[in-house]
Amino acid sequence: MLRNRVNYLGLATMLAVVGLWEALVRSGVVEFQFLPAPSAFGPRIGSLVSSGDLVPAFLHTLQVTLLGWVLASTIGIVLGLLLGLSETAWRYSMASIEVMRAIPPVSLVPVALLVFGFSIRMELTIIIFVSAWPVLVNTIDGVRGVRAELVDVARMLRLSGLTRIRKIVLPAAAPAIVVGLRLALSLSLVLAVVGEMIGNPSGLGDALVKAQQALQPEEMFAYVFVIGLLGVGLNAALRYASARLLPSLAAGGGGVTSP
Amino acid sequence: MASPLRSRPELTSVPTSDVTGPAYESHNLSVDLDSSEGARRILTGVDLEVAQGEFVSVLGRSGTGKTTLLRVLGGLLDPTADSTVSFRGEPVEGPPEGAVFVFQNYAASLLPWRTIERNVDLGLEGKVSKPEMRQRTAEALALVGLADRAKDYPWRLSGGMQQRVQLARALAVRPSALLMDEPFGALDAMTKSSLQDELQRVQERTGATIVFVTHDIDEAVYLSDRIVVLEGSPATIGHRIDVDLPRPRHQLATKELPAFLKLRRAVYDTIVDVHGQAGDVA
Amino acid sequence: MTAPITAPASARAHRPARGRSFPPLRGLLPLGVLLGIWELTGSEGSPYFPPPSTWARGLNRLWEAGTLRPAIGETLVTFGLALVVATLLGAMLGIVVGALRKADRALGPSLEFARAMPPAAMVPIAALLIGYDEKMKVAVVTFAAIWPVLLNSRAGVRALDPVLLDTARSLHLSWFDTMRKLIAPALLPAVLLGVRVAAPVALVITLLVEILTRVGGLGALIALSQRNFLSGQVFGLILVAGLFSFVVNGLVAVLEGYTFRHRPR
Repeated sequence: MLRNRVNYLGLATMLAVVGLWEALVRSGVVEFQFLPAPSAFGPRIGSLVSSGDLVPAFLHTLQVTLLGWVLASTIGIVLGLLLGLSETAWRYSMASIEVMRAIPPVSLVPVALLVFGFSIRMELTIIIFVSAWPVLVNTIDGVRGVRAELVDVARMLRLSGLTRIRKIVLPAAAPAIVVGLRLALSLSLVLAVVGEMIGNPSGLGDALVKAQQALQPEEMFAYVFVIGLLGVGLNAALRYASARLLPSLAAGGGGVTSP
Repeated sequence: MASPLRSRPELTSVPTSDVTGPAYESHNLSVDLDSSEGARRILTGVDLEVAQGEFVSVLGRSGTGKTTLLRVLGGLLDPTADSTVSFRGEPVEGPPEGAVFVFQNYAASLLPWRTIERNVDLGLEGKVSKPEMRQRTAEALALVGLADRAKDYPWRLSGGMQQRVQLARALAVRPSALLMDEPFGALDAMTKSSLQDELQRVQERTGATIVFVTHDIDEAVYLSDRIVVLEGSPATIGHRIDVDLPRPRHQLATKELPAFLKLRRAVYDTIVDVHGQAGDVA
Repeated sequence: MTAPITAPASARAHRPARGRSFPPLRGLLPLGVLLGIWELTGSEGSPYFPPPSTWARGLNRLWEAGTLRPAIGETLVTFGLALVVATLLGAMLGIVVGALRKADRALGPSLEFARAMPPAAMVPIAALLIGYDEKMKVAVVTFAAIWPVLLNSRAGVRALDPVLLDTARSLHLSWFDTMRKLIAPALLPAVLLGVRVAAPVALVITLLVEILTRVGGLGALIALSQRNFLSGQVFGLILVAGLFSFVVNGLVAVLEGYTFRHRPR
């Protein structure tokens, strides 16, 4: 969104929102029974860190998210290359993929729960199952969208198959693949949290549910805030990495249409 | 910009070993292309012979299959089974070694994620040693007058410069033949004429065979040793016109020669004639 | 100079391929084979992978018990309501931040943070603040589905050609006419493109909220079936959810065709 320079106006607005929230809760204008003021749950993060509750949960969620994302991305890119490059493979499987993709992935969470029970395997399975789709589909689109002219260039320069993939196909499909990777990363975090909320009893999602059950709104808000930070952080890291690794993406610009 | 012709290490072409025989030879060449109503014959019975070092232009109204013919010569497209096409005595099956294509759409044929230099490297990587690659790329870029833009990305260059990069990429592999598909069609008149002259100098220095597709009659007469005109549907070669203008040629002097004007007239008449025929058919 | 060198490739990659027709039907072969093997080798009472025939029986049982239809209805209401709210709010916000640089800079970081918030994490908070009811479901789903609409509307405003406004001025159109005849039609495709992306998101989050909170709908039914180890029923319901999403995607495709009707393919 807005990059490069420090956006003081934006930060000020954020602070103002927080300040307004604080003021509204304190003055009693807003009367939600369970809405804590920022000053009430902010320090709570500190105490959760020192009590040793937050850090392991955070690390667990981070680890599972990244692991699931990497596995899902690998599967998605490899399969996507195969289906994108081989017309026959594409013809004989794409319809199945379209049908399977129509199944809302979250509805499979209960199945994973049935099969794997409460475990990290269940968490990873649902992450992979959900996050591999956008990578797969975007890779296929990207590979099939490589311009005919570039394919001709590769042929006429007599590049071998692997060289062609490495030097022409992958870089040309990179913008599409990166969009898929970005979608997959946010999905991985969502599914990690979901998995922890209903399945695997560890990590931030589990902590959040426990705080809810213990009727500890301050603690809940503290955890939600941390999860939000994790989301922002992961997103920013991937964006930074892709800008560094693929300078031509930046040159191309555009591409805001995907969420 | 320094003159690209200042003495540089010789950028010779490879093929000096078998100077005998034609560069390209096709007999009874026909091509079917898939269309919405199944296969459609685009070219039929094309007999073409291109001598080594010859500059042949392919003319014809749009849609006659000029590009199709060039793609067959470049091994990018297969003709029908009963056609024969050979390049330096070898049948063409896939892009042959030593023949390089220069595409009309320069913007789409450069890799946007690579610098100019690395775009030119593309055809050499893994085939020659690193130092040789560096040297050949530098020579090729110097030959087209882009030595000082080596580190730029393609999008920073004008259309004419991008087409020069494509030319440099082709020259770097030291081809014995260049297949050029309306390479200057999308450029403005000034850029076009300067690139035409550059191409002449390149051919003079490298002795490459050039097959050049264009729809510009002036360009064809100005550059070629011989012009072939495709006509009909499916198309075949309807006219062959020898262009025996003296070389080197000059944009003004050559184009003022009575011989040039006569040839231009002759070619124009065949094309207009072709138009008339095609009009009757359609 | 030539931006086109990169533009077509990326534009093509980022934009959902419009009017993409369904791939060849023989591609259904692997899925059919898989289901066939599943049916033949699966054991009737498998708690994990019950064969497809049990799915139908599970669904039939639910239908006869009269629980399936209301569940579908509830999911539909949550989904539809949230999508409408997300579209209206998202378009309004998007147009504001698209038109005013200042507003964009001011709200940017806050929106960015809100966008990165996993919708799942919002569920307990929304439940706490609003309660376990329909309103909470709509709120959470809206929160998740608003972003594609917002971002696309913003991009749409940014991409408006200033010539459009000059045209309005030179034709002496009133403010109202300018909005109605020029601006709104020019922005509509961008907004609808956002809705196209938002619709599947909204459906997924609707099911998610239902699974997590068990407040009505298909999701809750899936979660309850799972809890009672009625695995045939679970798979049957997943199939229903899939059909639901197939219909949504189909409607979205129709919408898309309408949006781009004047553009060449």
